[in-house]
Amino acid sequence: MKSIVRGLALLLIIAIAVPVFANGGSDAAMEETGEIVLSFPTFWVGQDSKSGPIATLLETFNNENTGEIKVLLEPNPDTDGYRDKINTQLSSGRAPDIFVFNPDPTTFQYYDSDILMDFTDEFSGSWRGNFVESYVVDSTKNGATKSVPFEIAITPIWYNADLFKKAGISEFPATMDEFLAAADKLKANGIVPTSQMTGGSNAWTSMLWYSHIMGSLGGPDAMKKPLTDPIYAEAATVLKKLYSDGNTTRDAVGGDAGVSGGHYMAADTAVFINGPWYIGRIRGDAPEVHAATMLSSAPKVGEYEGNQVGFMLSNLAAANTDDPRRRAAVVKFMKFITEPDNVKFISESAGSLFAIKYELGADADPLQREFVRVSSEATFVTGGLHNYFPVSVIQEFGQALAALVLDEATPEEFVQMLIDAQ
Amino acid sequence: MSIVRTNDQGKAQVLGNIAKWIVLIFFFTFTFIPLLWLLISSFKTNLELQLKPFAMPKIWQFTNYANAVKISGLPRLFLNSIMISTVSTGLTMIVTSMAGFVFSRERFPFRQGLLNLILAGVLVPIIALMAPYFRLTNALGIYDSIWALIFTYTAINIPISTFLLYGFMRTLPRELEEAAIMDGTGFVGRYWRIILPLTKPGMVTAGTFVFLFSWNEFIYAMLLTSRPAVRTLQLGIRFFTSQFFTDYTSMFAAIVLTMLPTIIIYIVLHEQIIKGMTSGALKG
Repeated sequence: MKSIVRGLALLLIIAIAVPVFANGGSDAAMEETGEIVLSFPTFWVGQDSKSGPIATLLETFNNENTGEIKVLLEPNPDTDGYRDKINTQLSSGRAPDIFVFNPDPTTFQYYDSDILMDFTDEFSGSWRGNFVESYVVDSTKNGATKSVPFEIAITPIWYNADLFKKAGISEFPATMDEFLAAADKLKANGIVPTSQMTGGSNAWTSMLWYSHIMGSLGGPDAMKKPLTDPIYAEAATVLKKLYSDGNTTRDAVGGDAGVSGGHYMAADTAVFINGPWYIGRIRGDAPEVHAATMLSSAPKVGEYEGNQVGFMLSNLAAANTDDPRRRAAVVKFMKFITEPDNVKFISESAGSLFAIKYELGADADPLQREFVRVSSEATFVTGGLHNYFPVSVIQEFGQALAALVLDEATPEEFVQMLIDAQ
Repeated sequence: MSIVRTNDQGKAQVLGNIAKWIVLIFFFTFTFIPLLWLLISSFKTNLELQLKPFAMPKIWQFTNYANAVKISGLPRLFLNSIMISTVSTGLTMIVTSMAGFVFSRERFPFRQGLLNLILAGVLVPIIALMAPYFRLTNALGIYDSIWALIFTYTAINIPISTFLLYGFMRTLPRELEEAAIMDGTGFVGRYWRIILPLTKPGMVTAGTFVFLFSWNEFIYAMLLTSRPAVRTLQLGIRFFTSQFFTDYTSMFAAIVLTMLPTIIIYIVLHEQIIKGMTSGALKG
């Protein structure tokens, strides 16, 4: 017992004595010298493809503003954990100086409080011209722009042109009937047509397929309709075809993103869906598939065609302050990080897309160029199902889809499961 | 007749031994295979892991281990985890052994009500306390220090640990204390010299629970710290996950590395650990 008490006492003494465990004294010292210190907690760290370029830009900014402004990056490696942390901080009235704002309906509710810095005045000037206008509009609520649009995503259809060629298909099918005919040719050549998944937290690949189908059936406002609209069952009927007759892999039911992406990267499957963040992964792990990948809109199912699924991924926001120097420092940083040249640097390094207007350089990844092409050719862009419905519905989507494709539920029952989860 | 009985006994013994070994081998396999799988997977590429999770790696990827150390800064995080888990376990044991002693051995007004109030904390989901703990650590000026985690983990574990120690202390015979009182032992002496040594097995159970909670906890470690210098191992392991991609094989390498010191300590000290866990149990 004595040895335990002694050991514990020793640890307590060490914890108290070692200065590194004390709360950030050096930051306070910097503030005392007149330098504005801004904390920037972010999940763009570790293995995130943007971690390198963001760190480089921060270093550049800090060097350019030595003695005046210092932005300190605080690494938060887990995206979901980060969002919990930010929401807790916001609800406690203690927003970080600068942070990544999740542009979802829940987080936008904080626009109604005075905790966020208001950039409306800045956006009334020339700065606004740097942005794609629709994203500024989407980031403005009740006339106030309290977050800066930053990273966006578009999730087109990926297809392996080499596998299509092997099956004697020269171009991506324009309609679903043509797509199913092409799928038969692929299967005849031993190729599984599509990657699908019902697992993970949102059945990502299949949920995006469903969103594309919904857009083609119902147009730009398709998913604004209530779940009781028959269009949802109609889209489920189409999606089920992609799970039938060997049109996807056997492990798709229950499979997660690793299964879906893994089969595409191994060239087991010919068609896949994901966003630009996957470019770096496929380039590194499956260079031949990366070189063969082309992008397209989904085959036409209903009245509409050429639509894409896209959404704002991350905005930037800041804590409101009465201190004009701090406010000026935050605005200076926001303008710096959204400069077209800096955004181009992040985009080309990480493969990401942004809400800022910029031209990709000559050395940009060809697949990233494809993303820019399909984005500009899109007849209209809708969000994914996850942008329109609460998390409970999205989590149920995979379960309902599994029941649908295993013939345990009709398309109408599939929709009812989503309604019940709402 | 007796020879036949001896042969039957011998057969029964052999069958019993076979059954015993089957059970032992089953549970050994059940425990060991996942660890072996983890170790082998830590030498694969992510693509190999996704497509052939149970195959051997084509080329053994030792770079995963280099990544594990380089990206997450494991040694520092490991030290922080040891420090935070040990101190919060120690503090919890001090506080809850006192609470358990008072609630189980003393009679005073509102005793049952106070006990119920503390034990009700077991039912509160810790995620519901995020905002209050965040505000409290900020108000105390300990946000972003290991003390934020030490005090939070201690507070969170007080209800369950009090529950365990209260239950254990209640089973100790009152005669032991009465004999000590006759010998002139006071209140503190009864706690320190009589009850606490006899509660060792209960404290090992409660302490193990608290230590494992503190070691594995992630949500509060993320919420209450921001500098890498004060963060814990669980956050380091998450450095291999990003918004859209998880580097599982480097993460597995990091997990293997974090397990190694614990395994080495156990191999070196296993006799003392087992002795410590069982010695108190024989006394009561």
